Amino acid sequence: MAPGVTAKRPLPRLLLLGLAGVGLFVAALDAYLVVTLLPAMIADIGLTIDRFEQATPIVTAFLCGYVIAMPLLGAYSDVRGRAPVYAICMVVFAAGSAVTATAGLWSFAGLPWLVAGRLLQGLGGGGLVPLSLALAADLYRNAGRTVALGSVAALQEAGSVFGPLYGATLAAAAASVGGWRFVFWMNLPFAAICAAGLLIGSRDRPSASAPAAAAIDWKSASLLGLGLGLLVVALYPDDPNNRATSGLLIPVGISSLVVLGLYGWRQVRTLEPLIPRELLRSRRFIGASAANLLIGAALMIALVDVPILGRLVFNLDQLASGLLLSHFLIGVPIGALLGGLLASRFSGRGVAVAGMLCSAAAFIQMSGWQSNELTLHLASFRQVDIALGACGLGFGVVIAPLTATVLDLTREQNHGLASSLVVLARTMGMLIGLSALTAFGLFRFHQILGTPQLTDPGVRARIDHLARLVAAAFLQEYREIFGIAAGLCILAAAVTFIAIGRRQAPASAGTTPAD
Amino acid sequence: MPLACALVGLLMVGCGGLQPEDPVQALRQGGAATAALKTVTATLKFTKGTVSFQGFALVGAKAKVRLPSDSDTTYTVRQQDLQIGLEVVISGGRVYLHLPFSPFSEVTGKSAADIPDVAKLFDAKTGLPAVIPAGRNVKYDAVDKVDDVDSHKIEATYSPDQIRGMLPQLNSSGDVHAIIWVGGSDHLIRKAILSGPFGDNGTASSVEVDMGGFNAAVSIATPA
Repeated sequence: MAPGVTAKRPLPRLLLLGLAGVGLFVAALDAYLVVTLLPAMIADIGLTIDRFEQATPIVTAFLCGYVIAMPLLGAYSDVRGRAPVYAICMVVFAAGSAVTATAGLWSFAGLPWLVAGRLLQGLGGGGLVPLSLALAADLYRNAGRTVALGSVAALQEAGSVFGPLYGATLAAAAASVGGWRFVFWMNLPFAAICAAGLLIGSRDRPSASAPAAAAIDWKSASLLGLGLGLLVVALYPDDPNNRATSGLLIPVGISSLVVLGLYGWRQVRTLEPLIPRELLRSRRFIGASAANLLIGAALMIALVDVPILGRLVFNLDQLASGLLLSHFLIGVPIGALLGGLLASRFSGRGVAVAGMLCSAAAFIQMSGWQSNELTLHLASFRQVDIALGACGLGFGVVIAPLTATVLDLTREQNHGLASSLVVLARTMGMLIGLSALTAFGLFRFHQILGTPQLTDPGVRARIDHLARLVAAAFLQEYREIFGIAAGLCILAAAVTFIAIGRRQAPASAGTTPAD
Repeated sequence: MPLACALVGLLMVGCGGLQPEDPVQALRQGGAATAALKTVTATLKFTKGTVSFQGFALVGAKAKVRLPSDSDTTYTVRQQDLQIGLEVVISGGRVYLHLPFSPFSEVTGKSAADIPDVAKLFDAKTGLPAVIPAGRNVKYDAVDKVDDVDSHKIEATYSPDQIRGMLPQLNSSGDVHAIIWVGGSDHLIRKAILSGPFGDNGTASSVEVDMGGFNAAVSIATPA
């Protein structure tokens, strides 16, 4: 340091982590708020209820963006620094929000426009998840790291707590100034504040802003992102009445396998591969990823089906169906914090297995729901709220132990990538879960409903009769789906128990611990 | 002044050559051309107020009409924020209803009578051909393009009785203001925007009607 130059004190790490967490929270709000806004959004772009499956890309596009962005941007931030990449992600997220907000305003801005907006949002938001987790891992060590990761995960899941309620409430309050569109416009000032705050706040903290010395394998990262993106397209149920997956399953699926194969080939040949080979050989890493995949599929079932069940079976309005789901969503961040605390004291494996079994038990209870379920109480609480809360709590509890398992296996400079892989596995599970759910759900719905012959004397009487039949078919379909979700949770618990052993000491820089 | 007229004339020639004409004459020609139609399609979009159909808020409708009496109309209605498509086929004097997830079923009696018969809108004696030329306060607005067709844009006012005369389900508690686009060469009515107190409980409403597919082939299958 030159004489006379006073060293600037870097901002406290808690403030940096807080700034990153706020941006992550905003993005998480948007991942989940569509759950309650979806009916209004698809109505405004002209889709009717019998073409509801066409709305699937509004959800999957966001997740697709996540899948593509996470391995690229997590790894990119390992080299370019967390803060600059974070700011880029926020700009992309804000642009996607603006595109989404304008869907349906012009004849050309229909479903494809809306899907494009959601894709951009996912690309930006997808980058924020590993960046925030990696920043937490950079700033904290040992037991403090697990708590920090749990806190970041809790903030992310807090977005899901407030997302559906925030979306439904804000849309209702702003009905005269755009309704659901206003919710997306609101992202722009939030994004600007978070990006600028983190950039300014991390200027004097090398670990958060300065690039590392190593180079990243851009080609491998691109191949992985492209391959996964193509896989998402191949799994998209473009005509769920007739087939479970995309009509382009074979060509796009083969293309995906070719691209992923190329990635694997490079992986073998490259000395410093994108994903360290030790990690790919690790039973704990594979176990944690497989468990996350299964958890993602089960999580998607709760997130999508509960609000739809509320609307179509329990006859709740937009806000009330959001409130119903919020019991599940409130459980998730509480569970995430609890999981972080418990995993720093007890076996991570035991904590994760307990969480999964808790969710499985809740799903089993939900698989027996009746049309009058909202009137059933246990003490002074509604049974549905208890089941949903317990289900969310279980999902939250597994986040920190599974994330810590993967981070313990990687070097510090690869935390961005490792964090991406954790969320990536869960997001892939959500995508596959949504694909299978849509296909199975529609198939079962049509099977149960059959071809109702409506002969009531009046038009209104026929519509009311049909509504009752549709509600009964939906209830039966969702009970079966909740049963499947319980099975997925039990399978995730078994995988976690078998594949993940006792927790080891975290990897130091330059080493990658073997199993 | 002569110079100004010449400039206006030149501008009009530059805009496609359609000359303004007597608006009453244009509406009369529009009515006559509409009366001669064999088939037509129409799209309705409600842009203001709430108009109910069978107890649901009507968002819009798309109709295929084969004159004199067949029509296939899909009404898009909204309950809370869910949109539902209700398809009504009127063929050979019988009314069929197609609800989502179910096959067509016949509607009879008063329920059938409550459903608007869209083909009657084009009846030469009671429908648009008769009512359109009978507007009051007729005013020529401009030469305008609708779907790349040079058209006369004309304003007129219609009484509640005139509106109800076209279809008994069309109720208005006051005069309805209309902006009508009449094709310059074929005199067909291509577009109309109607505004007036025809919403639920006499509230102010507005509907945009786009017409096309004049005398083109339409398929209206009689449900089995």
